[in-house]
Amino acid sequence: MAFQPRRRFHRRKGCRFCIDKNEIDYKEVRGLRYFISERGKIVPRRISGNCAEHQRKVTEAIKRARNIALLPFTASHSLDR
Amino acid sequence: MRTYETIFIIHPEVAGDAYTEIVDKYKGILSELGANMLAVEEWGTRKMAYIVQKQERGTYILLAYEGKPDGIRELERRFRIDDKVIKFMTIQLEGDYKPSSFVRKVEETEVTAPAKEEASTEKPAEKAPAAEEAPAKEEAAAEATEEAPAVEEAPVKEEVAAEAPSEEESA
Repeated sequence: MAFQPRRRFHRRKGCRFCIDKNEIDYKEVRGLRYFISERGKIVPRRISGNCAEHQRKVTEAIKRARNIALLPFTASHSLDR
Repeated sequence: MRTYETIFIIHPEVAGDAYTEIVDKYKGILSELGANMLAVEEWGTRKMAYIVQKQERGTYILLAYEGKPDGIRELERRFRIDDKVIKFMTIQLEGDYKPSSFVRKVEETEVTAPAKEEASTEKPAEKAPAAEEAPAKEEAAAEATEEAPAVEEAPVKEEVAAEAPSEEESA
């Protein structure tokens, strides 16, 4: 079992937005979900690998989406009930 | 004149004539205030990420327009008065207006909806519930697909978190 090669997570180097030229939009929740943790927190740059500019835009977009109830501020409370 | 977009959410129980009336009302208010309408997106009723005014769902409408700050102040004042509007947000667009992916969804429902309505033309009373049910089902499907990748992502993230400290150490 110890010889089983551990599946290493392939970390994409660099900023995915710089490579793919995707636009960041607060309405496109599907794309933003990648950048929030299960608790609803914004994933930090050291983990997401975004460049400063795009991390800033992602943050802004997530905050906007939260404001209009497209994304949660915290994990859903309904799970606790 | 700057380009803005306003998203507002109206009460989910407002449907049919009352719904179109509200949409037209705010379109009217905007043109009254000298705004130049660019687009109206009706996203339909969808589940909100958290409960707003004791509602779990809301009907989203997006208005894109060119207008003046005074006009937005007035529009938002009227949103606050209207208790059918449960949430609203105005954003100044950096570039030009671009249709969101929700538009495509709406078009799809419009294509499928008339077929259903034709079938139930003899019973007009049933029209509204049928129309309401259709988007709800689609949403459920959309949510299911959205949640699936989230589960897959979770372990990946943990691994990254586990790796991060080791990198720091080596550096």
